[in-house]
Formats: sequence, C-alpha cells, structure tokens
Amino acid sequence: MARTLAMFTDTSLCIGCRACQVACKQWNELPMEEPQWTGSYQNHVHFTDKTYRLVRFIEKPQPNGELQWLLMSDVCKHCAHAGCLDACPTGAIHRTEYGTVNINQDVCNGCRYCVSSCPFGVVAFNHDTGRANKCTFCNDRIHNGLGPACAKTCPTESIQFGFRDELAAKAEKRVAKLQEMGYKSAQLYGADTNGPLGGLNAFFLLLDKPSTYNLPEKPLLPQRNVLVDSVLAVGAALLVGVGAVVSFRERGGKGDGDA
Amino acid sequence: MLRNPEWHLLIVWYFFLGGIAGGAYFTAAIADGFGGSRDRGVVRTGYILSLLMIGVCGMLLILDLGTPSRFLNMLRTFKFWDPMSIGAWMLGVFGLFAFLSSVLSLSADERRAALRRKISLVGILFGFFLASYTGVLLSATALPLWSDARLMGALFLASGASTGMAAISLLLYLSGDSAGEGFKKVKRADRFAIIFEIVVLVLFLALLGSTAAPLTSGNLAPLFWGGLVVVGLVIPLAIDLLGGLRVPAVIPAVLVLVGGFILRYVVVMTHA
Repeated sequence: MARTLAMFTDTSLCIGCRACQVACKQWNELPMEEPQWTGSYQNHVHFTDKTYRLVRFIEKPQPNGELQWLLMSDVCKHCAHAGCLDACPTGAIHRTEYGTVNINQDVCNGCRYCVSSCPFGVVAFNHDTGRANKCTFCNDRIHNGLGPACAKTCPTESIQFGFRDELAAKAEKRVAKLQEMGYKSAQLYGADTNGPLGGLNAFFLLLDKPSTYNLPEKPLLPQRNVLVDSVLAVGAALLVGVGAVVSFRERGGKGDGDA
Repeated sequence: MLRNPEWHLLIVWYFFLGGIAGGAYFTAAIADGFGGSRDRGVVRTGYILSLLMIGVCGMLLILDLGTPSRFLNMLRTFKFWDPMSIGAWMLGVFGLFAFLSSVLSLSADERRAALRRKISLVGILFGFFLASYTGVLLSATALPLWSDARLMGALFLASGASTGMAAISLLLYLSGDSAGEGFKKVKRADRFAIIFEIVVLVLFLALLGSTAAPLTSGNLAPLFWGGLVVVGLVIPLAIDLLGGLRVPAVIPAVLVLVGGFILRYVVVMTHA
C-alpha cells in the first residue's frame, strides 16, 4: 500500500468561485444538468450523479442581523471506514492503494445499496448508465503523478492535495492560527484518524460547527448494526420456531417424533 | 444530507415474497420434523410454495437491476458482513434446499422422507435467514428510522412467519384440504406468529420512539395503522380468538397476507 493521499479543504480560504466544480466537470467529462434554484448561488442542492464537487453557499445570520457567508467546497470524504464500500455486494467499490474509495463502473450492477449506506449522501445513482457514481479522487490523475483536478485548479489553495499525514499536520497548524486570530469556532472535520469512520481522507477545516454545513456531527458506519440486529433476529427465529414446534408436535407418541 | 436508494415496488414485492418463502419453508420443515402423517399436506404445500416464491424473488431482484445480466456481478465476491452480499448467495443456496425438499416431498416413500427431514433440518436455517435478513439489510444503512430500528430483522421474521403460514393455509383451503388436522395446526402456529408479531411491533415502535414518526404520523400512517395493524394483525387475530364467528377460514389468511405486504410497503416507502 502506497502512502495514503488526501485532500484538505480549508473553507476559510474558499471564495466561492466554483473553479473546482467546473474543473471536476471538465476533467471527468460530466455532462451538463438542469440548474436548480436553491435560494442562493449554490447549484445544485446536493451532489448528483454528474456533480462530484459542489461549492456550498451557507448563509448564517449574524447578531447584527446581517448574513455571513460560509463557503465550503464539498466532496466525497473517501472515509477510512466507508459505508458504501462495505455495502457494495459486487466489489465494484474498492479502496485504491492510495487509500481513496473508488467505484469500478464495469463491475457496479446498480443495486443502489451504497446510495443508502453513505453517511453523507454522496453516492448517487446514474439513471443513464444504471450504475452508481461519485468522486473518483481523479483516480486516473493520481495514478499519473497529478493531483485531483479540483485541487489543481483552486486559485486560493482552499483545496490542497498531498500525503495524508503531512496535510493533517498542516491543518492542525492552520486551525490553531485561526483560533488565535479570533475564529473561535474554527475546527477540523475528519482530520483525526482516531475520529469517526477512522478519519476522512478528504477532510475539512470548518468555521462553524459541522451541522451548520449540513454535515453530521458524528457520522456512523451503517454496518455497525449488522451484528446486533442479526442476533435479535436469531432470537426471534427461536421464539417463532418454538411456537411452530408446539403447534405441530404430535401428542400421545403417535407421530414420527423428532427428525 | 442523506440519499434514498430509490427502491420501489419490485423490492417491496421481493421483501414480501421472500418472507413468505422463508416462513413457508420453516413451517413446512417443522411440520415435517415434529408433526405426523396428517401434516403431509402442510409439508408439501410449504416446500413447493417456498420453491416457487424463491424463483419469483430471484426474478424480482434481477429485474430491479435494470440490466439483468449484471446480477452475475453479485457472484464475483462474498462479503460475510454485508447483508446484500450474503443475501444474494443465500437466495441461491436456499433455492437448492427448497428444490430438494420439494422433490422429496412428492413421494410417500419413508426412506425419502427421512432424507428429506435431514435436508430440511439444515434448510430451515436458510428459511429463517431469508425471512429476516432483508430487515437487517435496511437497518445497515445510513438512513433514519431504518438504521434506528434495532428490531427490523426480528419484525420481518415474525411477519415472514405469519404470512408464510397464512399462505400455506390459504393454499390448503383453496385445494379443499381445510378439514384436516394439518390445517388446524397451521392456523394454531399462525395465531402464535401473529401474537408474536404484534409484540415485536410494539417493542419496535417503543424502541424507535419519535423516530417512528414517518410510519406512525406521516403520509404512510393511514396504511400503517389501518392496513398493517388493524386489517393485517388485529382483525385476523380477533376472528381467530373469538372462534364462533361465521367467517370463512380464507378471510383471516388473506388479511394477514395483505398486512404483510403493507408492512414491507410502508417501511420501504419511508425512504423511497
């Protein structure tokens, strides 16, 4: 396994130019879509099967009544423990040697289980191909020594690409500096590999709490439920089984008895 | 911001018929192992019904993929922690057991019966699996209600049991075999399954608390309360317990089946 790669999106540097969104569309040859009115400059409301990078425009009311813009270029988090990857029954969703999560389009069979298993609602079903789509971390580019198109094009270095450990250290310094400058709510999201989902390989610096950005405060791995729920189902099976045995058992020793 | 998997009626039918397949099989296998010769009708009907339903289930899943041949992609890998991966494999393995049990149930030969009981003893595990794993599959997602419902697998299993038994008794009734002891026993087992399902449903709702709102007070609420609770559980149980009512035996069985379908429908449509 090669050294894990990551993207660090520092939202404090984002100017909402959407160059990342365009670069992603261009490089990945993603077709145009009908625009959606979202009430702000943001377009679309959420990722789609044809939009893998999305600049979120969040309007936060200030104490003086004015609105403050929080800008965030959002993307697939390439979770260290990825719900979509665990859910995929074909093996189409796999982890690359760089630690990123990718969907092999030839293998995906369109079951859509991954769509419901992403804690961030990233994976989207493509009705044209009948397969699931999401950010590929520009798989073709990183295998040729280039960073993802979004990071490459970002004019303010809000999106940075590099080795995960180096970027995380950089992010720690940056958040400390912002705190010092008075941005008390500045915080990292997904940078800690001991945190939720084992850390996110696309992690963020946010200027407010995660829920302000429509991010879950503590994303959970869906597969955590499999064991407990299976045990409960086995318990139910035993009770139902006993009920049926009692109903069918032949009394008086005339029957065939146990098998 | 979460996303729905766009599972619709094909999946609702699959969950419903998969429950019947599992429930009918384990009912037949228990009747086979613990019952007597008078239960032969139940045994044969249960096994064959299960086999047919498994066939339909496979077709529903393949149709849902849009491109049928892509179903083969499921067979590239086996992930023991992934309900959908295990489910795809187990449907095939269970189909094999249902086939063998069905074929061996056609003859009255005692040696075949002994072999059939041995096979069914293993097959029963797959029957329980198919009836319940679809619930666990839903709870292993990121979506609210589904992932909050610790008893989804148990509830689907209880419903698979009650609908599987109801389907057997309906078929016995339709084939004019409703006077025998076997028919009475299925009805008795179904009564227990319905009571158990009501208990599980109450616990299911209690554990969910306000998270159950999409089922209990949203657009789906009339179907949930009217269709599942009243029509599908309370009325058939009341008819059964009150006894003396002059209701044809076919009515409660049909109501239980309707309720079982509505359960899968309202749960799947919560995130359709």
